[in-house]
Amino acid sequence: MPVDTRRVRAPEESQCPLLFVPLLPRGPLRTVAQPEKARVDGRQRSQVDVRPVFARCGLVTQAKGSAYMEAGKTKVLCAVYGPRESERKDDTDMKAGRLVCDFRYAPFSCPKRGTWIQGSEERDAAQALQEALRPGLCLHRYPRAQVEVNVLVLEHDGSVLAHAVTCASMALVDAGVEMYDLVLGCALRQDGDSYLLDPTLAEESGGHATQPEDNQGGVTVALLPSLGQVSGLHADGELRDESVSAAVRACMEGCHRLYPVVRRALVYAARRKAAPPGDSLET
Amino acid sequence: MSLLKLCVPGDRLCGAEDCIPGTGTYLRHGYIFASLAGYVLRKNEGEELPIISVVKETEAQLLPDVGAIVTCKVTSINPRFAKVHVLYVGSTPLKDNFRGTIRKEDVRATEKDKVEMYKSFRPGDIVLAKVISLGDVQSNYLLTTAENELGVVVAHNEAGIQMIPISWCEMQCPHTHVKEFRKVAPVQSEYLQA
Repeated sequence: MPVDTRRVRAPEESQCPLLFVPLLPRGPLRTVAQPEKARVDGRQRSQVDVRPVFARCGLVTQAKGSAYMEAGKTKVLCAVYGPRESERKDDTDMKAGRLVCDFRYAPFSCPKRGTWIQGSEERDAAQALQEALRPGLCLHRYPRAQVEVNVLVLEHDGSVLAHAVTCASMALVDAGVEMYDLVLGCALRQDGDSYLLDPTLAEESGGHATQPEDNQGGVTVALLPSLGQVSGLHADGELRDESVSAAVRACMEGCHRLYPVVRRALVYAARRKAAPPGDSLET
Repeated sequence: MSLLKLCVPGDRLCGAEDCIPGTGTYLRHGYIFASLAGYVLRKNEGEELPIISVVKETEAQLLPDVGAIVTCKVTSINPRFAKVHVLYVGSTPLKDNFRGTIRKEDVRATEKDKVEMYKSFRPGDIVLAKVISLGDVQSNYLLTTAENELGVVVAHNEAGIQMIPISWCEMQCPHTHVKEFRKVAPVQSEYLQA
C-alpha cells in the first residue's frame, strides 16, 4: 500500500472518543442496583409485565409477506420472500425446503452507530432466529425451495431477538407459508433474585459491571403457543438452575400475553386481503 | 356479514373424526389444525365427512411436483440437454423462476438414440413438459416430453415469425414456407384461449 506523503498522517496511537463517554445513561443502572423499586418505565419487577405491543402486517409491498412490530421503543421490520428456487444445492436433504434467515441492525438502531456490514452478533442472532422458526414451519411442503426471512431492527431497545422471532413468524403467516403454529418470542433479564421480563436495552446491559453479584443473565424463549412447545431457548450469563426454569416459565407466560395481539393483527391482515369466499359455502 | 371464521396457523379446527383435512390444514394428535391464515371452509363432496380447508386470497404457492404438467421456456440447448425456465405449473403462473432440464433421452419415447436436440428445441420455444424428478444435489428439475401431447407449442423462426405445426416433427413459417424441425405437441383444445 503506497503512502500518501503529502497528507498529514494520523497519530500512531488513537482512541475512540466513545471510550471516554459513558455508553449508556447511568440512570437506569441505579434501579438495577435497587431491587425493591419498580422499573424505570413503571413496570413491576418479577412479574409478567410486557411492554405494550403494536403489530401490523403487509408493509413491504415488494415482499411476499411482511410484518412490523413495536414493543416499547424496540422496532422490528421483517420481510419474507419465496418459496423460490434454492440457491445452494449442496444440502443433503432435498425433500424439504430450506429456511434462510438474515438479521440486521439498521446503522441508526443502536446507541452507537453501526455499519451495514453484518457483524458476528447479527450472524448469531440470524442463526438463533432460524433455529427458533424452523420447528414451526411445514418445510416438507416445499421441496427444493427456500424461504427467505429478512429481519431489520429499526430501533434497538432490548429483547430484540424475541421480538424478531414474533415479527418473523407474523411475516411468514402473511406470506402464506404453511406453518404448524405461530412462533412467539419473549426475553427475560434475571437480576439477582428478581427478574425483569421484556427488558429494555438499559435493563439488558445494566448491572453486569456495577454489580458483580451472581445470578445475572438473560434468557430468550421462542414458543409455539397452541402446541405448547418451546422451539428456541437462548440463555447467557450465570444463572442458578432453579431461576432458569422459573425464567423459562415466565417467558412462556409472556409469550401467551403476546398471543392475542399477534392473532388480532393476523386476522385483520387476512380479512383486509380477501373478502370472504362467496356463495355455496357454509360456515 | 362475515359469518365465516378466520383462523391463524396453529388454531385447532375440529377433531379428525368430524372432517377430512384439506388444503391449509394438518393432522396432529387426532385433531385438525390450521396451517395458513384465512377463512375456514367446510365442503361436502358426496362423502360422509366434509372436507375442511383454509383458503387465502392468493393461490397456494404451487411448486413443480413429480408428474405435474409444466409450461416452460427454452433458455439454452446443447447436444445432450436443453435448459428451460418453468413458467407455469398446470395453469398457475409461478412467481419465481424455476430452472429445469430436458435431457436428450427424455425428448421422445421412440428412437431415443436418434434424437438430435437441435432438431427438437430451440431457445425461446414454449414447451409443454412433465416433471419426472425433482433432481438430485447437482441437477435441477428433470422434465420429459416423451408423450404425444408434450413438446413445443409455440416456436418462432429466425425472423421472429411464429410458425405453424405441420407434423409431429416439423413446423413451417407461414410467410416463407421454410420448414424447421421441432418436437411438436398438438395444442390441446382445452388449453386454447381466445
